[in-house]
Amino acid sequence: MSETTSKAQTQADAQTGQQSGGTTVEGETQEELREEWVQYEFDGQPAISTRDVNVHYGDDHALHDISIDIPKNSVTALIGPSGCGKSTFLRCLNRMNDRIKAADVSGEVEFNGKNIYDKGTNLVELRKRIGQVFQSPNPFPKSIRKNISYGPRKHGDIDVSLLSRLLGRDDSDEEDELVERCLRQAALWDEVKDRLDDNALGLSGGQQQRLCIARALATDPEVLLMDEPASALDPIATSRIEDLISDLAEDYTVVIVTHSMQQAARISDQTAVFLTGGYLVEYDDTDKIFENPESQRVEDYITGKFG
Amino acid sequence: MSDAYDRNLVESESSTYQRLAASIVGVGILAFAFALAALFDLTAIDATFVGLSLSNLLGVGTTLVGLGVVGLGAVSYVGYVETTPDRSAGLVPAVLFGLLWFCVAGLVVSQTFGFGALVWLPAALLVGAGAAGVAIFPREDIGSTLPAGAFALLVGLVFLTNVIGPDWAWSPTDFSATFTPKIVVPFLTVLAVLVASWAAGKAYDDFGARGRQTGAYMLIALNALGILSVLVILVAFVVSKGIGPLFEGFSVGASGIDWPFVQNGNQLTNDVNGVFPAIVGTFWLVVGSVIMAVPLAVGAAVFLTEYAEEGRFTQVVELATNGLWSTPSIVFGLFGYAFLVPRLGNSTSLLSGIFVLGFMLIPLVLITSREAINAVPDEYRDASAALGVSQWQTIKSVVVPAAMPGVITGVILGVGRIAGETAPILLVMSGSPFPSKRQAPNVLDISFSFTSSFPFVDASLISQEALLNSASALPYQLYAIITAGVGQSEAFGWGTTLVLLLVVLSFYAVGIASRAYFRNKLRS
Amino acid sequence: MAESSLKQSFDTFRAAEDIDASALLAGAVGVVFLLTALTSFVLRLGLEVPAIVGFVVVLGYGWYAHQGLTAKAVTFLMTVSTVLILGMITVFLVLESLHAFRLMGVNMLVGMDEPVTVFGVTVLPGLGNFWQPSSATYSLVPAMWGTFVTTLIATAVAAPLGVACALFLAEIAPNWAREIVKPGIEILAGIPSIVYGFIGFTVLNTYVFQNFQTPSQGSFFLVGGVIGVMALPTVVSVAEDSLDTVPDSMKDGALALGSTDWQTMTSITLPAAFSGVSAAVLLGVGRAIGETMAATVILGNTVGLPQPLYDVFGNNVTLTTLIASQYGDAGETQLSALFAAGVVLFVTVLFLSLTSLRIEAKLKQELSGD
Repeated sequence: MSETTSKAQTQADAQTGQQSGGTTVEGETQEELREEWVQYEFDGQPAISTRDVNVHYGDDHALHDISIDIPKNSVTALIGPSGCGKSTFLRCLNRMNDRIKAADVSGEVEFNGKNIYDKGTNLVELRKRIGQVFQSPNPFPKSIRKNISYGPRKHGDIDVSLLSRLLGRDDSDEEDELVERCLRQAALWDEVKDRLDDNALGLSGGQQQRLCIARALATDPEVLLMDEPASALDPIATSRIEDLISDLAEDYTVVIVTHSMQQAARISDQTAVFLTGGYLVEYDDTDKIFENPESQRVEDYITGKFG
Repeated sequence: MSDAYDRNLVESESSTYQRLAASIVGVGILAFAFALAALFDLTAIDATFVGLSLSNLLGVGTTLVGLGVVGLGAVSYVGYVETTPDRSAGLVPAVLFGLLWFCVAGLVVSQTFGFGALVWLPAALLVGAGAAGVAIFPREDIGSTLPAGAFALLVGLVFLTNVIGPDWAWSPTDFSATFTPKIVVPFLTVLAVLVASWAAGKAYDDFGARGRQTGAYMLIALNALGILSVLVILVAFVVSKGIGPLFEGFSVGASGIDWPFVQNGNQLTNDVNGVFPAIVGTFWLVVGSVIMAVPLAVGAAVFLTEYAEEGRFTQVVELATNGLWSTPSIVFGLFGYAFLVPRLGNSTSLLSGIFVLGFMLIPLVLITSREAINAVPDEYRDASAALGVSQWQTIKSVVVPAAMPGVITGVILGVGRIAGETAPILLVMSGSPFPSKRQAPNVLDISFSFTSSFPFVDASLISQEALLNSASALPYQLYAIITAGVGQSEAFGWGTTLVLLLVVLSFYAVGIASRAYFRNKLRS
Repeated sequence: MAESSLKQSFDTFRAAEDIDASALLAGAVGVVFLLTALTSFVLRLGLEVPAIVGFVVVLGYGWYAHQGLTAKAVTFLMTVSTVLILGMITVFLVLESLHAFRLMGVNMLVGMDEPVTVFGVTVLPGLGNFWQPSSATYSLVPAMWGTFVTTLIATAVAAPLGVACALFLAEIAPNWAREIVKPGIEILAGIPSIVYGFIGFTVLNTYVFQNFQTPSQGSFFLVGGVIGVMALPTVVSVAEDSLDTVPDSMKDGALALGSTDWQTMTSITLPAAFSGVSAAVLLGVGRAIGETMAATVILGNTVGLPQPLYDVFGNNVTLTTLIASQYGDAGETQLSALFAAGVVLFVTVLFLSLTSLRIEAKLKQELSGD
């Protein structure tokens, strides 16, 4: 970053008297954080809103005071260089960070009017409604059919257990319907309809990832979190996943982490930019972010001056 | 929708229902504790507490637990509290409940009423099927509580009405054993409490997926606790029995420490007999087998990880190490007895013992060393190779030192294992069951002198005689005490057990601690 | 098979290095010395000492002149020796047992004391006795039955409790609990068999004798229970390792769908690690079969079958205790019969161990995604 810009920022700060939310922020970074840059106005209720989310891994302060509202039925992209905490933030939204023993999350994440970090939160219910697709495809070592119906079976919505089949009261028809619907939604049906009972580990990487998306859709979530869902895939598979995500936004709230700015520009409605150290720098309409960002550093990042 | 939905997302604080379920488990734990006390002779089954015999008291406890569990199910079923039960308790509980009630009905009809198989078998099948049916057809809250609660209730009533009381006994015709109330009452109590607590645990978290998790976790955690207490009880018991004999006649005086149990052998003139020869024997056994096996095993591990290409040869070696690892110790003993003993002086000897235990140590060290060497990052090797250092130099100065902590840990744990082995040394090494102090092997025999004949020096470091003679060792000493019939020497036996346990467990403790230390160091 | 692969490996070994004539000569001389020593030891020729001295001299020269090559050759010889030890054990067990097998034929493994009749037809003539050195009658049937019964009881104890404990350690336990239980399990593995035996002999035998009023001290029931506890740590450690090999991403996937930890364990983790867990149980069974001292001192070791067969309070003999209780005053034929018992043990346990090895290899392959 050039010295002149830095000076300009300092002056701007002094004039407006604006201070960033973070108290531990130092030097240049501090000058780069402005509250108005991350305030994003939109119509309607947010699907998820976070207030001052901080994450520590031991002594490492991985996320600093993240407060954003994520609108319903749209695609929100989280971008930034690697190690900026965007995946960590995503995992805060369905409390998957609970799985990492060293991670300490503070702040509030409001979903349906409840803070999901309150004591007594039903994680099963939460994760049923906030689904997640992971960076690398992780199908279960089971048949394609069983992969899709896993969630509904575990939540008791579909019963195809041995016992029910013995008693003749199983929901195999519902299962078939669900499997077809979800696979169609994930644009995978035509490729696998003849081998639903084959092991899912035999699918190609792109197919596996679409299967994982279909699997997440099967529990009928409201929000779908995606952690670089296309990073392990080839360009053709990637474009299929991207098309899929745009379609999904009609019915679901999608939050997607990506390191590819082109991808964020193509598929998202709004974009949040995280920069190194775990700071949210700017959050706005995707067009605005990519065409005319407020922050100099965001502009530098987007134009590829620094990563 | 939104209402049910928000309630599901964030739970309220613990309810009366949960407190009820918890207190049922509490009563169960109390009954459990009393049952164990009776089993371990801490109290008698006919002892009276607050005017009731212990079996009646346990009856009260299990009855309460049974009633409580049935109540939990009923309250949930009529919708008094909001729970999330599944449609059915499921196949696995149904099968287990079916088996349980099959046994109950079968035993009652055949043993209490004395009917033959033509009557008891159909009756038991009917009752078993009924219990399984109760688990399958009604909703989960009834299906998992009713068969469990009813069992506890039945057990409680049987104890309360003295059908099984302090004077009861059962001698089944096919088994050469009689079941006394001292065993049966605690056993049934524990079983009833476990089954009922599982059901109460499910109720605590409102049945359904989360209830099943709570129920299962309770049993699994209890199991881990049980295994841990076996260890604690075992060690505590040996220490309490052995500490007396171990320190008998122990004194610290002007002439140094006097510790007869450790410093003496077995002699009629001794006030306190000791295990000195056995300690010395075990010491030389360990030293000898380490000298023999460790270089061999580490060398093989180096070859397998650094030189050998994955292929048929490594597969064969892997099969051989696994085969050696799992070969029963008595088979090593037989091998030594048939092969080594005739070739090493034709009598049982310390050297044969060293060889056999060395053979047993090889796979233990080889497997852990291989893991340790494999864990050395390839960057180390690459960095060294990039500097133009030869492969052997790299291994010698980079790989092996980096793997050393892991290798040492493996050696320590392996030594802990072989130091306690009895079967092989029984066959190849043992001599006098109660050796005197003079029979302790005196392996080190350092002498050096010039002679007039070839080769003009007479040097010795190790006494051949000691190596080729039989020797005792701690585990063998213990075995000898047992075969001598214990009797008079029981205290001596407990002392020996304690010494053996201390030796072996200190190897393990050091091994485990050093491994933890090096892992932490590696991580940071 | 072993030989050809050995040769193959040796060839690659030779090709890889630039070997000059002096090194080759030294290597050949060294191997000759070593083989001489070994042959002399096996055949009792009395040439071991000079041969070993010769080998050490060659080794010294090699170390001085071609250190890298010598190191490689020596470690190779060390590797071969582990295979050799297992080979020698196998050969000597079989050799020593041949005499008894020749004498008894198939009756060694199936011979009964009374004739066995099916529908009035005698299918197996009786030996009159299971085990009588004076009339040279040896049948391993009672010992094999004893091993079977005790192993069954031990497995019933060790398999469910061990797998449950492995689940606890791998998936359920909070950190503090794992740091207590895990070393505890390892220390439990370290308690010597004879210590269990001593406690069994002095305390448990008396307890069972008094409270089950068995006719004598010692029973399969007690031995099975004690061996079960002894096999427990093996099951726990191996099963825990295989549960750990299930990738976290798979578990995360299940949890992110809103299944509970317990559902994830029973429907994802355990099925995925199923082969590894069954390998753990097999290894535990192997340990239980081979357990000697505790069983020897607890049991009465009378050779015979319990009446009826399923009387678990029977006080008879197992394969291991047969060897340990009789080797001392056995004549030549009887000793050979004991070696036959050793062969049966060895083969059974080797089979279990190799099966579990194959299963574990399969698990790794499956989880890597084929």
